[in-house]
Amino acid sequence: MPPAGPETIDAVARNNVSVSGNPDGRPMLFAHGFGCSQEMWRRVTPQFEHDYRIITFDHVGAGGSDLSAYDRGKYDSLHGYADDVLEIMEQLDLDDVVYVGHSVSAMIGVLASNRDPSRFGELVLVGPSPRYVNDGDYYGGFEQVDIDSMLDMLDANYLGWSSVMAPVIMGNSDRPELGVELTDSFCSTDPAIAGHFARVTFLSDNRRDLSRVTVPTLVLQCQDDAISPGPVGQYVHERIRDSILINLTATGHCPNLSNPDELSAEIRTYLG
Amino acid sequence: MTSLPTEPEGSLEELYEHAPAGLVSLSPNGTILKANRTFLTWTGRDASLIGSLIIDLLTPGGRIFYETRFLQALWLRRELREVAMSVLRGDGSELAVLVNAVVVEGDDGDPRLVRLALFDATERQDYERDLLASRRVAEASEARVRVLQEASNAFAVATTEAELADALVASARDAFAASAVAVVLVDAEGDTYLAGGVHPLAGFAEADRASAEMAMIRQSGTLTVSNLDEVRPLYPALADAMLDARVEAFSIIVLQDVGEPVGALICFFGRRRVFDEQDTALQVALGRQSAAVLSRIRLQNELELLAMHDQLTGLANRKLLRESLLGALGAALWHERSMALIFVDLDGFKAVNDEFGHTAGDAVLKWVANQLRAAVRSTDVVGRFGGDEFVIICENAGADEALLIAQRVLSMINANSHEFPDGVRVGASIGVALHQPEPGLGAAPEAIFIAADSAMYRSKQSGGGQVTLVQL
Repeated sequence: MPPAGPETIDAVARNNVSVSGNPDGRPMLFAHGFGCSQEMWRRVTPQFEHDYRIITFDHVGAGGSDLSAYDRGKYDSLHGYADDVLEIMEQLDLDDVVYVGHSVSAMIGVLASNRDPSRFGELVLVGPSPRYVNDGDYYGGFEQVDIDSMLDMLDANYLGWSSVMAPVIMGNSDRPELGVELTDSFCSTDPAIAGHFARVTFLSDNRRDLSRVTVPTLVLQCQDDAISPGPVGQYVHERIRDSILINLTATGHCPNLSNPDELSAEIRTYLG
Repeated sequence: MTSLPTEPEGSLEELYEHAPAGLVSLSPNGTILKANRTFLTWTGRDASLIGSLIIDLLTPGGRIFYETRFLQALWLRRELREVAMSVLRGDGSELAVLVNAVVVEGDDGDPRLVRLALFDATERQDYERDLLASRRVAEASEARVRVLQEASNAFAVATTEAELADALVASARDAFAASAVAVVLVDAEGDTYLAGGVHPLAGFAEADRASAEMAMIRQSGTLTVSNLDEVRPLYPALADAMLDARVEAFSIIVLQDVGEPVGALICFFGRRRVFDEQDTALQVALGRQSAAVLSRIRLQNELELLAMHDQLTGLANRKLLRESLLGALGAALWHERSMALIFVDLDGFKAVNDEFGHTAGDAVLKWVANQLRAAVRSTDVVGRFGGDEFVIICENAGADEALLIAQRVLSMINANSHEFPDGVRVGASIGVALHQPEPGLGAAPEAIFIAADSAMYRSKQSGGGQVTLVQL
């Protein structure tokens, strides 16, 4: 096979990147977690608009991303998603980026910054988990059977999905006017992609990547987070050199939705 | 007409408590604020449930689903319908439910309350579970058949090893969601080369420090590595290379042709993988199919080679000589540089055939062919024109180079071989036609050939054992 040529990848279009806020401000890149799209930052980003340049995007397979770019081989590990993050940064020529990653995107940020730390200023990891499945002394919160039952539930909820939603999603690439409907159906994704992303997310093990982080890191941990419980946040904090751990009063796994004000305030305080 | 009772329910309270659906009110952070009797009865709980978190009523898998799919969508859409979930009863058993949810906003637009209505979906869930299970089995086997079918279609049209390798790479990537796939083939010399795809560990595989590990890997043939931790204790250097290349797992299937290894299909994965029997079976099937096609392609190449080469000496035959001459003339015209055609006719060969028989004659011809191969430059084409006549086509050669080659041929043949039977002696008469093209004015191949032939004849006339050069 010939070596990959310098083909131009339009990461901005592929990942449905949107840029807002202060054009002269420090760039702040928000990465959404499994199960939703960049929409889930909509109550957080306004709080940084005044002084930061805000970049949000959809992972390929989510929201308004280009579904035709979904390559099962590439996205069979979080490295594929990390490559996309780096490509977005490169295309927008971002420097000294504050990367805010929720849930699985926390680890995607870790992988991207380990690959090329040069564009990263800080990592803000919201509800990170390097491994969801318990392993020996390591407590991740789940057993393999739990992940399997979650995948079952995911599929069960898609049984009637394809007939209703598929035309909307599939028609999107050649009928951009349907984008409006898409935004209305928040968090809708192709069931096959959602199932694959769920497997990749919840069956990954990125524990050893934590000690390789060189970018200053803030770990934000919620109360009663069933997905990334307290001990997991503690584990991440201990493995990432010089990281800071803040325990939020927000409960659950999605402080960006349940308590966007507290989340934003803690990030702001950290950034100084 | 019957008149409707004015107050059909004793009280709204009673309707709430005994509605044919579980009704639960949550605070925005998921604390259960209120639950009706139907819900408590269905779940075998009592009023002490109030104040606990809804997430505590879910299975571990259900919690992930609730937090990632249910809640995020609910916060953004403000309403969800018919979500299939399970709730834990007091005794630990599971109750399958369909959930409708709605967010109640306060005056400030912030969520104030979440209302849930739950419907018993035990029967539906059993049915769906069966449906799901059988659909998965059907889809998996359909996917395997599709992969093999598409692969066989793609393999069928492959005419070169590279095309076949690319088709195999595409099939394997598609079938196994591999982040990279490499197809390595063994060439005629027994060396391996990357015929298609990407080999993220190629640098390691070629490094000296890897030789011991590579030898073990080669010996083991078909091999699967599920994760890096499995590798580290046995092959630490390989583990380091995998880490650098972001490879967490890989699988190797040896391609075999009649029991002989002819190559390998290597799939690389970016995360831990457990390879089940069906994965391995599919890889083996792809490997078997592609190995069969590889042997077909190699046979075809061999036949083509035969069609263009002289069977006795392995030199180019007339057909290939003609093609090479046309190519050399075209190149000479294009680059405006000279080329030469050297015509070699053996002296004394007829006597060898007559006195020692055809076997001895054939041995001499083979020996001469080897001398010619050794005497020319790597870019020259050597052919057998017929009988004891040989032709050498020299692209990009002036008079000096052409004469040098011709003299070398002459002296190598004159040296003769000590392996010849006593009394066998051959020599050579050589003619060289040198062609210097004028801009835009080439020469006909026949003209060059006839010129070289007559130059050779002049050498023969003058007693043989010499070189004559003509220019045109």
